[in-house]
Amino acid sequence: MSLRQSRLTFGPKSALVASNVKSDKGTAGNTKDSDEQATSSNSTAEATIETKIENVKDVAMDEDVDRALKRQVKVYMLTYSAFQRTVTENFKTKKRSRRVIASDDEEDTEEMTVEVVKVKEQSSTLEHKAEDLTATTKRLKLDAASPKKPSAQSIVVKELMIVAKEAELEGDTKESTDEVAIAEAEDRAEEIEQEKEAVEIKQVAAKWADMFSKSSNEEIASWKKGEPVPYAALCQTFEQIEDTTKRLQILDFLVKFLISVIKLSPESLLTVIYLSINKLCPEYEGLELGIGESLLMKAIAESTGREMKKIKADYAEIGDLGMIAMNSRSNQPTMFKPKALTIPHVFKTLKDIAALSGNSSQKQKVDKIKLLLVSCRNKEAKYLMRSLEGKLRIGLAERTVVVALAQAIVLSRPNIKKLSKEKLVAELEEAASVVKSVYSELPCYDLIVPALLEGDIEGLKKACKLTPGIPLKPMLAHPTKALTDILDRFENVAFTCEYKYDGERAQIHKMADGSMKIYSRNSEDMSNKYPDVMDRLDKFTKTETKSFVLDCEAVAWDREQKCILPFQVLSTRKRKDVKEEDIKVQVFIFAFDLLYFNGESLLREPLSRRRELLFSHFNEVEGEFAFAKNMNSTQIEDIQTFLDQSVADNCEGLMVKTLDGNEATYEPSKRSRNWLKVKKDYLSGVGDSIDLVVIGAYAGRGKRTGVYGGYLLACYDPEREEYQSICKIGTGFSEQNLEDHYKELKEHVVPEPKSYYILGEGNKPDVWFAPVKVWEIKCADLSVSPVYKAAVGIVDSTKGISLRFPRFIRIRDDKAPENATSSEQIAEMYSDQKLNTVKNDAGLGVDMDFDY
Amino acid sequence: MLEARLQTGALLKKVLEAIKELISDANFDCSDNGIALQAMDNSHVALVALLLRHDGFEPYRCDRSLALGVNLTSLSKVLRCAGNEDIITLKADDTADVLSLTFENTDNDRISEYELKLMDIDSEHLGIPDTSYDAVVQMSSAEFLRICRDLQVLSDSVQIDVTKEGVKFAAKGELGSGAVTLKQSGNVDKEEEATLIELQQNVSLNFSLKYLVNFTKATPLSSRVSLSMSSEVPLLVEYKMEAGYIRYYLAPKIGEDN
Repeated sequence: MSLRQSRLTFGPKSALVASNVKSDKGTAGNTKDSDEQATSSNSTAEATIETKIENVKDVAMDEDVDRALKRQVKVYMLTYSAFQRTVTENFKTKKRSRRVIASDDEEDTEEMTVEVVKVKEQSSTLEHKAEDLTATTKRLKLDAASPKKPSAQSIVVKELMIVAKEAELEGDTKESTDEVAIAEAEDRAEEIEQEKEAVEIKQVAAKWADMFSKSSNEEIASWKKGEPVPYAALCQTFEQIEDTTKRLQILDFLVKFLISVIKLSPESLLTVIYLSINKLCPEYEGLELGIGESLLMKAIAESTGREMKKIKADYAEIGDLGMIAMNSRSNQPTMFKPKALTIPHVFKTLKDIAALSGNSSQKQKVDKIKLLLVSCRNKEAKYLMRSLEGKLRIGLAERTVVVALAQAIVLSRPNIKKLSKEKLVAELEEAASVVKSVYSELPCYDLIVPALLEGDIEGLKKACKLTPGIPLKPMLAHPTKALTDILDRFENVAFTCEYKYDGERAQIHKMADGSMKIYSRNSEDMSNKYPDVMDRLDKFTKTETKSFVLDCEAVAWDREQKCILPFQVLSTRKRKDVKEEDIKVQVFIFAFDLLYFNGESLLREPLSRRRELLFSHFNEVEGEFAFAKNMNSTQIEDIQTFLDQSVADNCEGLMVKTLDGNEATYEPSKRSRNWLKVKKDYLSGVGDSIDLVVIGAYAGRGKRTGVYGGYLLACYDPEREEYQSICKIGTGFSEQNLEDHYKELKEHVVPEPKSYYILGEGNKPDVWFAPVKVWEIKCADLSVSPVYKAAVGIVDSTKGISLRFPRFIRIRDDKAPENATSSEQIAEMYSDQKLNTVKNDAGLGVDMDFDY
Repeated sequence: MLEARLQTGALLKKVLEAIKELISDANFDCSDNGIALQAMDNSHVALVALLLRHDGFEPYRCDRSLALGVNLTSLSKVLRCAGNEDIITLKADDTADVLSLTFENTDNDRISEYELKLMDIDSEHLGIPDTSYDAVVQMSSAEFLRICRDLQVLSDSVQIDVTKEGVKFAAKGELGSGAVTLKQSGNVDKEEEATLIELQQNVSLNFSLKYLVNFTKATPLSSRVSLSMSSEVPLLVEYKMEAGYIRYYLAPKIGEDN
């Protein structure tokens, strides 16, 4: 028997006992409640499905078949999402109640089981309904196939195909599906995805507009004007966000909260934003918490008096320190309640913790965490722990925060209710796009938030612009598979080709005061890594060049042979505290874009003008600095020659960019279709290489005894903050590689898979790793797999995507695990590939002449 | 203005040793009644209440109530510079941004003066209700120290059972288990070592040994210690001094942790 430490209390005995009992009852009640909720939501969903079916039937009578069809499809989509939601809810409930059963050994168990069974029954009825739906959908699809007005029909087909696809995913594909149509639908799916976000923003905007024009604004805030925002208020918002998966709702919750903050305690807005995105400062300042799990567990153990052993056991089971911290506390009655946590206090403590270093800093960190933990009430501990871990895992993407910020600013204007609904919608959309674009230019909330508070959206535009010294996220290129794709994409558009150098992206900033900085692809300050380049920078500029931001590629260079060395050589350079005299690997800078020049942002200028300025205000220096080699011909033969030439010059391939017009602007942080990359090895197999995170390994046998024989890889889902297993890999390693990987990775072995690893049944490696290493991988193609979980839910509701014949290319030290190829990209690659095959089979296009 | 002269400086040194492990910063609340301190540990599991009554000092002067925010680690470092035989004088102005300490050694006419910077500590005074306890055990403080240390080998918590017959300390851990029982004794010869029990009702409570061992740092202050217990109420461990006391409160461990 072991005991739990209670907190010091001087209450009347009964109070203490009673509160204890109450809290027990409370939890039990809650679980029951949620079960009931789930059940009732099941039945409502069922009811809606039924009414919807009725509706559809009625509408089908309508003479205007086109419109009817459209509506029907929409209704089906709605019903489907309702159904899917219920299923997820069911699942959640099941899981939850299972946990309750596991952790609760009282009589409730039986009751719970009954509930679970009920829920199961309900979900199976729902599945029947779903089958009905699928059948109806198919009938509808046939209807749609008959000729109608072309434009309307295409929309119908598009929407229909989504339904059809979903139907297919339900595993009911016996009836022959129109493959070309599906391909078409998939082709558009991407566009839809892109539009989706815009549409969502629009919807929310409309909703808010609606609310504001109709009713008086209800104050939802739980604190008084001028007081610091209580941490509990933020945690409550987090909780609401965590409980939903709908992006609209998430945005809605956050906007509501931010409005309260702006109205009552505007000085806390910046901290609230930082806590919501779980950062302490702009990325380029590089301040991180650096707290390991063991330290957090220690803090929990010490502050609650529970044994470390128990906490470790809990962690192995639950896998979320937040939950553990919360549960370790939740049945502790207190009388001498410490003061409630406030946002400024929490944020300041977090910053203090991050700044601690040196002797006994670990102990001081634990002490500070303990102090926070002791003051935590209810759910606060959960989110505090997660913040400390650096993973909120509530499904709040940073771009949602940016949009919410913009909308909250607009909606907290004093005279906002006087605006007409249409105007308000427009304002909200405008605000979101302005803040987004400003943020991509100037990714620094320290400047954006005060500017917004001071001068609203208009003021922001004026006050915050691209500023040398603050790195912006680089623009990225889309991979292509064949040269003909380029011609397809850039038909009737002026474009240019550049060498794609095999090095490291470098953003060189020179400020008006003469100081200079070099930033990496991830906005890290690399000035210390390249002291040699820093010294030479002045030689590269002409006298009139006072301030600038250059987009470049830094490449390892052989001075004797005058040739480019592969990336692997560059990566052998020391990363920190490089002294100039020790440098062995020389670096050549190839500049390909100019983003800012003498006080003027060039982001909105077309590439042709940016390039002109670049060429006329900078000097090429032999062996040190040059402009990326380019060619403007639009003849496919010339491009082919240029590509061959680039490969001969030790480059990776080509970049193809639009040259003029609106599409030729620089789009920070976007993987844009206005930039395409053609790699030499694209033209066979799957286009781009993929960067994956190593999460596990299999013990080596035979020749590989003593090292790991194979590895389990995962891609990253930034939306859900999960790593999803994608494939095992065992080829492409040299013996040296294997040894090096073994040495490096054994440092990162963890006893259990992390709770945010999403794994299939069959992928259980012999050892697990913490997510630290990113590898570049190539593969033959992608396939849907029941075993792996990459992009699960995007292409198929239960199956993921896996790689066929993966092989190891190299380590990507320049990428953090969070920058690994995302599930979305994997899904996109998969559908691109499917598209191509369909096209090929149909004999449409793709010239297969240049097969490398 | 505070001026307090303590004939036996060793007392202050011992007091600091007794609390500095538990608390890092605290306010010394000075009034005409004496110097008091009350603070909880970081985890809010234990509370220390200290009182040095005015009659323990000679002379003692405090015109207006003062709160001196002190980092106890720093204070104990400064006090290490004082000899055991030294007379210690504490002084502070009403503005109270420093605490001056004077150590006088009468034997060799040595006078040392130190100033310690004070800090603002935000703390609220907690009202501790008067409680009539179900069981009060008075025992030798050295014996209590020994029991806590011995049992700590086995477990991190101890179960204390008090009955008419005596008081039993029991610990159970992975190594095994152990128990120490002290019988109620009217040992008149050795009054210092006697175990006296006042009992309204049997009690059985669990406490963290880590904290109890921490409390026993006050053993040098008094040869006797009293443990006052009622179920579901914090344990009171009190060491009485000639002019004052040091009291520790500790919340019991509750419930099972599976």
